Amino acid sequence: MPFGYHGCYLRIDVSNGTSRLGTSQYVPLSDTILRQYLGGSGLGVKLLLDEGAAAMDPLAPEAPLVFAFSPLVGSPLTTSAKFAVVSKSPLTGRVNDSLASSGFAIAGKRCGCDAIVVVGRAAELSVLVIDETGIRIEPAREYRGATCQETESGLKARLGATYRIASIGPAGENLVRYATISHDGRHAGRGGSGAVLGSKNIKAIALRGTQRAEWANPGELTTISKSLSKRSFGPATAKYRELGTATNLLTFNRFGALPTRNFQSGTFDEAANLSPEQLSTTRSKTRESCVSCTIGCEHIYSLGRGGVRVEYESLFALGSLCGVSDSEAVLRASKRCDELGLDTISTGGTIAFAMECVERGWIHTNEDEPWLTFGSGDALLRAIDLIGSRQGIGDLLAEGSRRVANVVGHNSIAFAPQVKGLEIPGYEPRALQTMALGFAVGARGADHNRSGAYEVDFSDKVDRRNVTLDAVHHAIDTEDKAALMDSMIICKFLRGVFEDFHAEAAEMLRSVTGWDMSADELRETAKRIVSAKRQFNLLAGWTPAEDTLPERFLSTPLPNDPQASLSRERLDALVAEYHRQRGW
Amino acid sequence: MHVEFLGVPRQRAGVSQLEIHAVTLGQLLGTLATQIPPLREFIAGDRLHSSFIANLNGGLFISDPSTPLVNEDRVLILSADAGG
Repeated sequence: MPFGYHGCYLRIDVSNGTSRLGTSQYVPLSDTILRQYLGGSGLGVKLLLDEGAAAMDPLAPEAPLVFAFSPLVGSPLTTSAKFAVVSKSPLTGRVNDSLASSGFAIAGKRCGCDAIVVVGRAAELSVLVIDETGIRIEPAREYRGATCQETESGLKARLGATYRIASIGPAGENLVRYATISHDGRHAGRGGSGAVLGSKNIKAIALRGTQRAEWANPGELTTISKSLSKRSFGPATAKYRELGTATNLLTFNRFGALPTRNFQSGTFDEAANLSPEQLSTTRSKTRESCVSCTIGCEHIYSLGRGGVRVEYESLFALGSLCGVSDSEAVLRASKRCDELGLDTISTGGTIAFAMECVERGWIHTNEDEPWLTFGSGDALLRAIDLIGSRQGIGDLLAEGSRRVANVVGHNSIAFAPQVKGLEIPGYEPRALQTMALGFAVGARGADHNRSGAYEVDFSDKVDRRNVTLDAVHHAIDTEDKAALMDSMIICKFLRGVFEDFHAEAAEMLRSVTGWDMSADELRETAKRIVSAKRQFNLLAGWTPAEDTLPERFLSTPLPNDPQASLSRERLDALVAEYHRQRGW
Repeated sequence: MHVEFLGVPRQRAGVSQLEIHAVTLGQLLGTLATQIPPLREFIAGDRLHSSFIANLNGGLFISDPSTPLVNEDRVLILSADAGG
């Protein structure tokens, strides 16, 4: 077994409260598998493939849900306390890997495993507890309907403050297809992993462990960690420390890349209302960090008696995308999503799509006056609660924009803001066309965390509004890099501090695992992981026709920027070149 | 020409925009570093730190210090990392 690992994963069938494997609950992982897939997303996808998950209904009892840690978890390397949640997505029917941070990752690894695979369905709403005494299922009836935060604090009071807890909110219990898994206020957000856990009748997982993985070269690791931490205070992370991701809002608006009113525009006249610069003038603000992080990107703004974590994706999805400029409403909506356990991007995307359908008279809400209208903060908040509880129109919206479009008809799929069923993040594809390619080919659907192609658009490598085939290899590079970062695991907000990421990543892994890794080996590892996701999707029924964008983006230039135009022919050519360069 | 600051550069500059005369990007950055000392952290000689980028008139992003500029140009200075 290499250093940095435990060399096994824990497979738990929650149907009967004990491991399917009886006393042999820990399944060995070979050195070869660990070296080939590292951990996090890579290891998670490999385990899904081994479980045959691609052919399963993602909400069926037998469908596996993987919590994958990594060799770097528990090390002094900044931002390494992260875990990946990997499953077949109930939203897309394709592979889904979502990451979250903090103490749950460290606690999970201290349980003596490199991943936890959950299968089965508990007889009643339960909490899965793993600690030094073993594995057990405890009833959690009293937490039915509880928010993520209520569940986490309640279980800490019941079990002890030393447990680290990941939980679902009402949305996960109600199988909302874009429900999240929450830990310490952060979310494994995209693709509906919360619904998968909810389908297993598991309200939460509580972890406490004492087992530590040894490091191959602690001295070298300490030196690398100090260097990385020092650089994490420099200019490359200033954006995240000083303003947070929310600063994208005004920047994107300036470039006509801020999705507005269900992608009908790339600019929002009232964007300034939602900007961190404006929010700071009327609200107090504090900063927080994940465990083991020196960046501190979380900016918590006051809201009522509490606070709310403000991120660009939440501001865009619940703000400009729905035409809502009332910052109080947008912050309340973001907080409500956190409480219910809803992915803010898919929530905002689905609501914005429904607002446009209401505007066109294609969705009726059984009331005299249409209430689900662009710009209404009250409607936004009402819709979120209905989605979380699956009541009224919320039962349909809980299915995500693609399924809503299929019910609505009228060819509304042409402007449903999704790829492979996953709602599009806050990067207007016509204004950022390398990102458009990244969205189209993404294994889990439209996604800014698995493709960093926007980096290319914000560079002198391409003309962002007229991208050519030369951009394709840049897009592939960002996708490969993301796959590596999500498997090692290390936070992407660090990417700017590296002179040569692959070389430094090899040094980190060498100091932890003892493997004599090279930058080239890691480049191959990244491609292997991307290919594994592709393999999963092929087994799940993927067809080339899925690698595209909704018709709106390919037939309508942005109203205020005619140069921001992307034809179907050009996107098809980019996608074909992407497939060719991938060797697919 | 007209210079606009976005995000962290705006915060450091203390203004959202100003007028400067320069004939190249490198000259513009040198002038900014002289006139606005808090920006020096992001400017090395005639280039921006790799985490920051300049944009010309809302279209192409530029980094070559010899990029010619004319008085009618609008140069935007912003973080290169657009991660959300």
